[in-house]
Amino acid sequence: MHNTDHIISSSVVFGLDPVWVAVSILLLIYGVIMAEKFNRAVLSLLGAGLMILCGVLNQQQAVAGIDFNTIGLLTGMMVIVAISQKTGMFQYVAIKAAKVVKGEPWWILVMLSLVTAAFSALLDNVTTVLLIAPVTLLITDALGVRPYAYLFALILASNIGGTSTLIGDPPNIMIGSAAHLSFTDFLINLTPIIPVIFFTVIAVIWFMFGRDLKASDEKKLLIMQFDENAAIKDVVLLKKSLFVLFGVITGFTLAHTLHLEPATIAMFGAASLLLLQSWGQPLHDKDHAYEGIMAEVEWTTIFFFVGLFIIVTGVEHTGVISMLGEKTVAMTGGNFAATAASILWVSAIASALIDNIPFVATMIPLIQSMAPTFGGEEALTPLWWALALGACLGGNGSLIGASANLIVAGFAQRAGHPIAFLTFMKHAFLLMLLTIGISHVYLYLRYLS
Amino acid sequence: MRAENIMVTELTTAHVNDRVSDVLDRMKMAKLRMLPVVTDEGVVAGVISTFSIMEHLVPNYIVSGDLNQIPYAPDMGILRRHYFETIGKDLLSVMETKPLLVKRDESLLSIAAALTAFGKHEYALVVDEEKRLIGVISAGDILDRLGNMIEGIEDDA
Repeated sequence: MHNTDHIISSSVVFGLDPVWVAVSILLLIYGVIMAEKFNRAVLSLLGAGLMILCGVLNQQQAVAGIDFNTIGLLTGMMVIVAISQKTGMFQYVAIKAAKVVKGEPWWILVMLSLVTAAFSALLDNVTTVLLIAPVTLLITDALGVRPYAYLFALILASNIGGTSTLIGDPPNIMIGSAAHLSFTDFLINLTPIIPVIFFTVIAVIWFMFGRDLKASDEKKLLIMQFDENAAIKDVVLLKKSLFVLFGVITGFTLAHTLHLEPATIAMFGAASLLLLQSWGQPLHDKDHAYEGIMAEVEWTTIFFFVGLFIIVTGVEHTGVISMLGEKTVAMTGGNFAATAASILWVSAIASALIDNIPFVATMIPLIQSMAPTFGGEEALTPLWWALALGACLGGNGSLIGASANLIVAGFAQRAGHPIAFLTFMKHAFLLMLLTIGISHVYLYLRYLS
Repeated sequence: MRAENIMVTELTTAHVNDRVSDVLDRMKMAKLRMLPVVTDEGVVAGVISTFSIMEHLVPNYIVSGDLNQIPYAPDMGILRRHYFETIGKDLLSVMETKPLLVKRDESLLSIAAALTAFGKHEYALVVDEEKRLIGVISAGDILDRLGNMIEGIEDDA
């Protein structure tokens, strides 16, 4: 029997069991999202609307189900990134990285991966690859080498880097918000294992592709002719962006002490940078600049989250998720280590095959429902790390595993070097399993032994 | 005033199977920057212009907007390499396949508005119902005609 406390008895359409209605809506919407025939934001909002129209939730419950901390954090960071990217700092760092290693093809791959991982940890993966991948193609063109290995490494690096912080990847933002885990919690608990995973992956990539990456001295000299300083389009804006970014990151690390939510810090940082970026300009130009930045916010993603939170709240209200949580615990015999391992591996495989955002949205209440079994919310913390590692690193398993992967694949296609789905998966899936294996050992040694 | 009153009907065209190098020579000889590309039946298949050829010389990941401006990049020999590749191709793979098409009875205002909105180049192809090419109108043609009207050489009937 599921937990009847949550079940809504009122006015579900045609007197149907709300459990079946809610689960049907969730499965239908997730199924169509996976088919990738329609825009996922439209589908999630349709699903959210159906949850209300069918009487599973009323509007108040639906709105209460939206995690505005996640929404605020995402939106704030999107605004900051939209302004910062105009400075050309991403291109500057990428070119500088290539020149530091004197144009050596393999070391350029390592440096670009490192830069991608670092940016992905502090900003978002999609923007990072959106700006680093085209420069990478330009560099590989100059070197006269095939770009596949570089783009492959970029994808893996962006997901690995994104795993390391609260703000690096949307699943972490959702987990942090739901489980009240701070930026510092992520730094202390997830960041330490990331360099191990990163350099292991780089070592394997060397065996896969690195030995074949060669360029003539003439081509290497060409890399040295790139002028990274010319990449900086607006020095004043760069200073303002770095100032605000530094403030926001500092704010994240102090958030817990200051009793502030990350969304407050991100939104305040976004508003400050919006103000600073057009400071001193005529009102008309300011308005124009604000509208331009607002247009760059990924509203599709934001509305996708809004709809998703409502859909999951609908299912949660019926008690199904608690029931699934109980069953999961029963399957692992109430063994905490086995539960953590299951969450890690199932999240990884699922995230490689389906969008990890709806998956994590569903897993969050499921893990929360395990609190009574394992001794309260505090005790669940290792399970959150398992979910974060599984969902973020799992995105490396296939081309559709994460948005950043699809962005890079799009670049490769346009550059005339398409990345085949199966070729990528052949290389990436085993590497993803390796990273999950490392994560498993890490979780076991640190929290479960 | 309608398209048919202003269009140029003595046309230099290219065929879909022509090679880019031959068409470039023809454009140079005729001092034109754009040629309509037609099939055996005279149906418009596209447009070849110096701009569309140039687009093929710059890597896709740049022209698609991913990298807008690259003031930090050296020459790298990319343009030269792509130029040799491109001039050996036939027009089908290089031409722009969606040119601005207008009907012979469209007004000057409508054509001017369409040219402005289209933005890619300053030519509109005038076609009949079967999409056969019957004329070309450039932004310059429109401006010349407007100038003539103001000077009283022509009226706007």
